[in-house]
Order: sequence, then C-alpha cells, then structure tokens
Amino acid sequence: AGGGGLLEKIRKWYYNLAGFNKLGLMRDDTLHEDDDVKEALKRLPEHLYNERVFRIKRALDLSLKHQILPKDQWVKYEEDRPYLEPYLKEVIRERQEREAWNKK
Amino acid sequence: LRKSILLCFLLQKRFYSLKVAPKVSSSGTAAKVKLSPESQNPEITKLPNGLVIASLENFSPASRIGVFIKAGSRYETSSNLGTAHLLRLASNLTTKGVSSFRITRGIEAVGGSLSVHATREKMAYSVECLRDYVDTVMEYLLNVTTAPEFRPWEVADLQPQLKVDKAIALQNPQVGVLENLHAAAYKNALANPLYCPDYRVGKITPEQLHHFVQNNFTSSGMALVGIGIKHSTLKQVAEQFLNIRSGGGVPGAKAVYRGGEIRKQTGDSLVHAAVVAEGAVLGSKEANAFSVLQYVLGAGPLVKRGSNVTSKLTQGAAKATSQPFDVSAFNVNYSDSGLFGVYIISQAPSAGEVIKAALNQVKAVAQGGVTDADVTTAKNQLKANYLMSVETSKGLLNEIGSESLFSGTHTSPSAAAQKIDSVSTADVVNAAKKFVSGKKSMAASGDLGNTPFLDEL
Repeated sequence: AGGGGLLEKIRKWYYNLAGFNKLGLMRDDTLHEDDDVKEALKRLPEHLYNERVFRIKRALDLSLKHQILPKDQWVKYEEDRPYLEPYLKEVIRERQEREAWNKK
Repeated sequence: LRKSILLCFLLQKRFYSLKVAPKVSSSGTAAKVKLSPESQNPEITKLPNGLVIASLENFSPASRIGVFIKAGSRYETSSNLGTAHLLRLASNLTTKGVSSFRITRGIEAVGGSLSVHATREKMAYSVECLRDYVDTVMEYLLNVTTAPEFRPWEVADLQPQLKVDKAIALQNPQVGVLENLHAAAYKNALANPLYCPDYRVGKITPEQLHHFVQNNFTSSGMALVGIGIKHSTLKQVAEQFLNIRSGGGVPGAKAVYRGGEIRKQTGDSLVHAAVVAEGAVLGSKEANAFSVLQYVLGAGPLVKRGSNVTSKLTQGAAKATSQPFDVSAFNVNYSDSGLFGVYIISQAPSAGEVIKAALNQVKAVAQGGVTDADVTTAKNQLKANYLMSVETSKGLLNEIGSESLFSGTHTSPSAAAQKIDSVSTADVVNAAKKFVSGKKSMAASGDLGNTPFLDEL
C-alpha cells in the first residue's frame, strides 16, 4: 500500500509538471492524432467530442494570448478521465486482428 | 467449457465414416441405410423454454443450419418503422464474441455463407458450409442472433445501405405494388412496409435495434433447424447458447383487415395492379382450398416463356384485349390473416378491361363454373410446385423452419399431398365465393388513366 501511494504521488507530480492542465486540457486531448486516434475520435459519442473540441479551442486561444487559466480552473489530476482510451484500445485491437488475419 | 463442447463435436465427427458406409453384403437381410429424406423425417424437439429444434440428418456433405425467429416488419410500431429492414442488413455487425471483420473473414475462410431472409412475420438467419466446419459457423450464427452489439458507428455506416437495398428491390414494380397492397389492406402490423420508409433512413438508432431484438428474439418465438446435422448436436447447442432470453416478449398486434386502395401514378406504360380480398390463415383448412383455387385460376406459366393458355384467368383476359398482358392469382397466408386475389400486368390503355375480365373469371368459379377435372389438375400442379420447392436444401430448410416456428410440428410431403387431395370442388367454390363477397383492397402503379377504382369494379 505504501509503494502504491508513492507511485501515485510521483504520477501526480509529473502530471502537474507537464502543465497541459493549466491550459484546461485533459490527457487524451493531447494525444498525437495518428490513424488509430483519428478512427477512435470518429467513434466518440457526440457530447464527449464536443467537450474535447471546446477544450482544445480554449487552449489554443490561451496559448495565442500567452496566458494560462486561473489556478481554480486548472484540470485536477483526479478529475482527468481517459475518455478516449476504451475506443482507442478497440481500434488498435481491431487493427491487430486484421493484420494477424492478413499475415496468415 | 466452450472448448470442451467443441471438442465433443470434433470427437463425434470422427466416427462418421463408420456410420455412413452402408454394409454391402449378398444376404437379403443386410441392413440398408435409408438415405432419402422421404423416409427420414425430421426430428423435432420442443424445449421447456419454448424453443423448437428440428433437424434432418440426410448425410449430405454440406450442412445448412438456420435460426428462425418470429420477428419481422409486422412487429414494428409507427415509431420504429424500418428497424426490421436494418436488422436484416445488420447481420454481419460486431457481436459480443466476435468482431464484424472476423465474422466475414471467418465464414469466408471455411467456404460457408451467412444470409438473412425476412418476411413480414419471420426472420431466418441461415448458414451453410461443409459438414466439417459446422462448429465454426455455428459460433458465428449464435453470436449474430443472440448477442449483437449494434455499435453506434457501425449502425451509422450501415444506414446508406438501406437506400441501396430499397432501390434495388423497387426496380421490380411488383415489390412496390405489394408493399402498397399491404398498406392498403391492413390497418396495422401487416401494413408495415418490408423496406424502410425514406424518412426513417439515417434515423434508426442502436437503441431501437436493441429494443426490437430484446422484445422479439425470445426463446419461445425461435426455432433452430438443421439439415445434415445430428439432432443431439443441435439440442446441445440450443440448450447451452440459445437460452438467454426467455419469456414470450411483447406479443404483436393482431392484424386488422380494412380494405382500401392505393394508386401510384407513374409514367410506366405497363400497369401493375393487384385486387385482393381477405384470404385464409396459415395452416387452416381454408388455406388449402385457397391454394387450390389459386392454381385453378392460374398461378403463373408452367412452361417457361410459354403463353399460359391453360389458365382460366389468361383465357378470360385474352378475350378482353389483344395487347400483351399477364394475369395470375395471388395468394398469401399469414399467421392470423391472408390475402387472395388477382395480380394483373397489362398495357396502360387496356388495364380496365383486363382487370374486369380477370374478376369475372373468379366470379364464374364462385358461381360453380369449375369442373372436377379442373380441380384435379390444379391439385396436381399445386402438389408438384410444393414438392419441387422442398427439393433444394434451401427450400427444405425454409419449409421445416417455418413450420416448426409456427406450429412446432412437421408435415411430411405425403401428408401434405393428402391434405391437398382432401380439398373438394365445393371448398374451391366456397373460397371463390369468399373472394367475390369479401371487402376488396387494391394497389396499382403505372399510367393509371384507364385503371378503374375499386368502386367501379
């Protein structure tokens, strides 16, 4: 339990150091858009997709003005949800299945 | 657990070569293996949860298995029209056990095929493959019928297919006329179109699909049928995997016949018209009488590209016009209603005369203008048609499946032939009388300038 708590603390420290939460972004907003991510984005339900677009727009605006959000609006480590992860995992699994079949 | 069941299947298959090889011996008491389906009637079991299992072991190298379900366009309501059509197209979408890609490639890899056939009252998912690969395709079939996921993006990608499917079907004017005929003849249930209405394309949601499956794909409304497979195998599969949704589900509305007419004015020089009255219920004694009446009047040419001179309807219409035409009797039976009448294809200027002539012919039969010889000929034609339709494994599966689904029994071909023979000339005349006196419905399409309305007939 002590070891697990330490790992969590390190992750939280690194999350805050990375700094994208100060622009109001979540981790999945910052993923590099390769083919798998693009396909997973197509499968996002509409409300999640709209929230993502809003966050990215807001972050672009802030970086244009060289500002960051006030501290109470930063995304907290606990609140950051990997919303794209299940869709992305499924896309990658399907691609691997296709490749496995095509190799046979 | 699943692996052990598959292993059992494999072990059972090992011993086929010993079982099938007939003993050839010179003594007269050698056991002969009966191979013809005539003497090898399907075995039928009904499970306590209502599922019917039927199988016919005809030792053929290819097996055909079907899941027949009491679901179809009649079980839609006005808020979810077109769901059954999309469901028909959705048979290869991802399921809980296998992905869409794997279903397609897996079935291709074993040389099998998965197809869906749906009428207003039933849906039939069938797979066929070589005997050795039955377990593989069975897995896909069960996944598709019991555990579809209807992922939102897959369903959205499938919706344009509705339009294409409908356009291809409507290239045949008969399809359009029959859709209109049902819409005109019934108030609900059977009035629902087989093909998705245009305004619903793109609006069918996965929730509606799930709802439809939950309500209609229940054990008591399903039948698992196999040809070329052992009964015990099917039974094991059914008990293991088809037990998920028990209960009767939501019962469909009773079809109410109303009798109306729908006319579709197009520029076509050929007029397609159908005039019907309420007919017989599937499986009733009346149904046999109507079928015989259909053949007495003429149910399509018996000689390919021939002129169909022997049919009464054709003879009557030939007196009315010299332009090309085609007239045949139309008969369809559903579980709680039916339609019987005439279907006419004629040139636009002579449509009125042809329709009136056809109806006069039926009236003549109703007034007793049919001889015993006519009825016997018609019976023979009906018997021949029926027996030839169950010659193919596809037709046979369909026949066994439909009958198991609706009545849980099987009528052997000889029993069916007997039933047809038991129809008397008086029954045929009564059937014709029922048509003449019944409230009519009509659907027509083409250049309808010379096509009479129902009240003018």
